[in-house]
Amino acid sequence: MKVAVVVFPGSNCDHDTRWALERAGLKAELVWHTEGSLEGYGAVFLPGGFSYGDYLRAGALAKFSPVMGEVRRLAQQGYPVMGICNGFQVLTEAGLLPGALLANTNLHYTCKEVFLRVERTDLAFTSDYRKGQVLRLPIAHGEGRYYADEETLARLENQGQVVFRYVPQPGAASEAPYNPNGSLLDIAGIVNERGNVLGMMPHPERAVEEVLGSVDGEGIFTSLSKALSAMA
Amino acid sequence: MKYHATILIELKDGILDPQGRAVEGVLTGLGYRVENVRVGRVLELELEAASEPEARETALAIARALANPVMEVYALEALRPLQEVL
Repeated sequence: MKVAVVVFPGSNCDHDTRWALERAGLKAELVWHTEGSLEGYGAVFLPGGFSYGDYLRAGALAKFSPVMGEVRRLAQQGYPVMGICNGFQVLTEAGLLPGALLANTNLHYTCKEVFLRVERTDLAFTSDYRKGQVLRLPIAHGEGRYYADEETLARLENQGQVVFRYVPQPGAASEAPYNPNGSLLDIAGIVNERGNVLGMMPHPERAVEEVLGSVDGEGIFTSLSKALSAMA
Repeated sequence: MKYHATILIELKDGILDPQGRAVEGVLTGLGYRVENVRVGRVLELELEAASEPEARETALAIARALANPVMEVYALEALRPLQEVL
């Protein structure tokens, strides 16, 4: 089953995402955001970048793109849908994931490696990880501070919807700051109730080869490859 | 008839506004005694409507579409016939 990588005006991780998917043995195609149909695709990725220049708010204008009706349909039908960085922002703006991503507490666009713990391994995107495994992945964002009201946060926690959480670098001094953006509950990635729509701020597609400094992102794509083989 | 609308979109109370904090720090440095500085957005637009209630309804629908209810509130700050603005 082929995977759609949606390209909004201003997306810039679309090719990296396709590359990472293809490395995992998946057939991936770039799909322009004005596309009215995603018929025939078994999964969708909303890549990182700056859709619509991040005007108004990150992801706020992309949610009105014609393709989003189809993204919503696939999400509702249970197909795997994933948003990375700007894609996560689009998913929250579109209401496909709860909460919102606000300006980093320090107001800096932050581009560095972070550590995150895998909290769920029963998803189409995470089955190749071990529960509690700590991944080293890059982040690159200015608006990554996960926010939701207390009721929503409690629900996410109780229902196990927090999939990735920022943690200290293993072996680092315990006082070292590790949450790069002020995200509540150290949230780096969440999934919807049904478990098929995942959003995360760090970039797994930028960590799929040794030459990139880390291969910890590969699991997302190899997991999906297995899940789609099972679906086909 | 053409109307001119001014829409305000602001972060909800209680949500940390680091932009507001940065501005507050600068204002304090300039010697102003201010607190609780918040930074929001103003949208101005012109629209065609048959009546003022219709213009108001449209402007509010636009504000609703553009604001994110998770962390923002919106208000129609002003609505006037365009000729009064020009």
